[in-house]
Amino acid sequence: MTCSADRDGVPAPAGFRRLGGVVCGREYSLLIDRRAALANLLLLAAVLLVAVLALSLCSITLSPRQALAGLFGTGEAIHVFVVQELRLVRLMAGLATGAAFSLAGCLMQTVARNRLATPGIIGIDNGATAFAVASVVGLGVGLAPPPMALAGAATATVVTFALACDVGTRGYRFIVAGIGVGAVFGALTQLLMMRVAIDVANAAYPWTVGSLNARNSEALRWLLIGLLPGFAVALRLARALTILRFSDAIARGLGYRASACRHAALALSVTLTALAVAVAGPVGLVALIGPEMARRLSSPRGVPLTAAMLAGALLMTLADLVGRLLLAPIEVPVGIVTAIVGAPLLLWMLLRPEARLT
Amino acid sequence: MSEANDTVSTLAASRLTLGYGRGRARRPVIAGLDLSLPPGRVTAIVGPNGCGKSTLLAGLARLHAPDGGAVLLDGHDIRRLPVREMARRLALLPQEAQAPEGLTVAELIRFGRQPHQRLFQQWSARDRRIVDEALTAADLHELADRPLEAMSGGQRQRAWIAMAIAQQTPLLLLDEPTAALDLGHQLEVFELLRGLAATGKTLAMVVHDLASACRFADYLVAMKEGAIVAAGAPREVVTQQLVRDLYGVECTLLEDPITGSPVLTGLRALK
Repeated sequence: MTCSADRDGVPAPAGFRRLGGVVCGREYSLLIDRRAALANLLLLAAVLLVAVLALSLCSITLSPRQALAGLFGTGEAIHVFVVQELRLVRLMAGLATGAAFSLAGCLMQTVARNRLATPGIIGIDNGATAFAVASVVGLGVGLAPPPMALAGAATATVVTFALACDVGTRGYRFIVAGIGVGAVFGALTQLLMMRVAIDVANAAYPWTVGSLNARNSEALRWLLIGLLPGFAVALRLARALTILRFSDAIARGLGYRASACRHAALALSVTLTALAVAVAGPVGLVALIGPEMARRLSSPRGVPLTAAMLAGALLMTLADLVGRLLLAPIEVPVGIVTAIVGAPLLLWMLLRPEARLT
Repeated sequence: MSEANDTVSTLAASRLTLGYGRGRARRPVIAGLDLSLPPGRVTAIVGPNGCGKSTLLAGLARLHAPDGGAVLLDGHDIRRLPVREMARRLALLPQEAQAPEGLTVAELIRFGRQPHQRLFQQWSARDRRIVDEALTAADLHELADRPLEAMSGGQRQRAWIAMAIAQQTPLLLLDEPTAALDLGHQLEVFELLRGLAATGKTLAMVVHDLASACRFADYLVAMKEGAIVAAGAPREVVTQQLVRDLYGVECTLLEDPITGSPVLTGLRALK
């Protein structure tokens, strides 16, 4: 094994950097995966770059310097207004929903040991959307979109698992059940839209395609509040998830409570998806492309949770930016941009047999 | 913590009942089974397909919750042991274990250290030494940095066993460790396991092939329809009658002139 030693002299395994020392009389040691760290840095740089572009470009074009000055409130009043009042919220929404969708996708793929098992594909997005739309079109339910989306996502999850009979199925039964459940909820959304007045249906329309245009600032607050602890919980689960990729028997044999970890990761995935859907509607393909990109860039030694989050934030912001600029002044909803990019990727994943399993 | 490998551990099933199915449809596969693994020896569990041998192994490893009775590890009910504590005393190698793509042999073996590591104690000098020893024991030093997918079946199985070695448990349970391996690779694996028993570990494995069980086990547990029909040293318990009872096969028994273990010849199926 090729090794590099750090200060207390213990050589790290190949591909890692070891940080070791003593804090408060207790020895500690951390292993940093070099490739994963590099991937995270690269993705972070790309996210920052696209974020500056997203603040600069639109019907009024600012230079990156003007945009940054606007962001920090030091530029001309008009720039401050455009950036802080018009574009910043949209950027935040893009970053947060992208990160949430992609992290949720990565968690669920890992738990199901199948790259096709993302919340969007197994119907959770559609469940959340149907309930959120029900709340917007005023179906006599007095709840805001985020709790309704949570209820919808939870309902879709319970129905899918009840139909698939098993939490950890490796096979396609779980996915097929989810596709069916998603179709039912999709039809339900259409039905709701048909039965209400046109202006109410218009208000609910962005949810059905996935758009950052009509995001609701309360829903965004819910998402931001959920995302930070969600990420912390995901990181806490990271070691267990790494082992859970093998099999439940091996995870148990190595001292992890496999089903507890699985349920925690699943609950987190469903919650994040619901909160993101409440903001942007079902942009589920980010949950497929983000983790795939993260896995390509990051190391196979672990589950790339951080990289997936960054990749999701990058993709969502980029897709929204492209959607805004492509046919300007007409805006292409972000859900349509990601579908155009994501659908061929989905087909490629289906046709490449080795890509089915994580 | 003491070196787990230096202590001898005992694993026993007491009135163990294991079943499948839900609610009323639940039916026992194993009912009231008693078994004690002889410490420091290799135990082979044999029997026809569907006799409950893999279920028994899953029960012993706490993968399958008992409907009755208990599994005792050093006299304590394993259900009361924290999972991590149990993983420091008992290692398990499931049948046809699969690893995620892209791991190297050394990376796989390092996962064996997980039960001994903590969130902020991820890699110590001791971890490094033990992984190194596991590589040596399984004769995998030259292949340490090669991807697992590039290994032959036998090498891969040795890597999995090395992961269990790195776990440093006094007990090791294996479900069909040589399934889908050719003769040469089977021998590699069995010889590695014999070597582990020689260091004082207690091993139990489900074995498909009665001949290999006779050749490599110290203690044979023969099961039929969820019950133990014979248990003891192979040369004492393997008889024509036992082979007939278990598999419905008529045979002639010889003694291996080199090892003294029973050899089955002239096999023919009973009508």
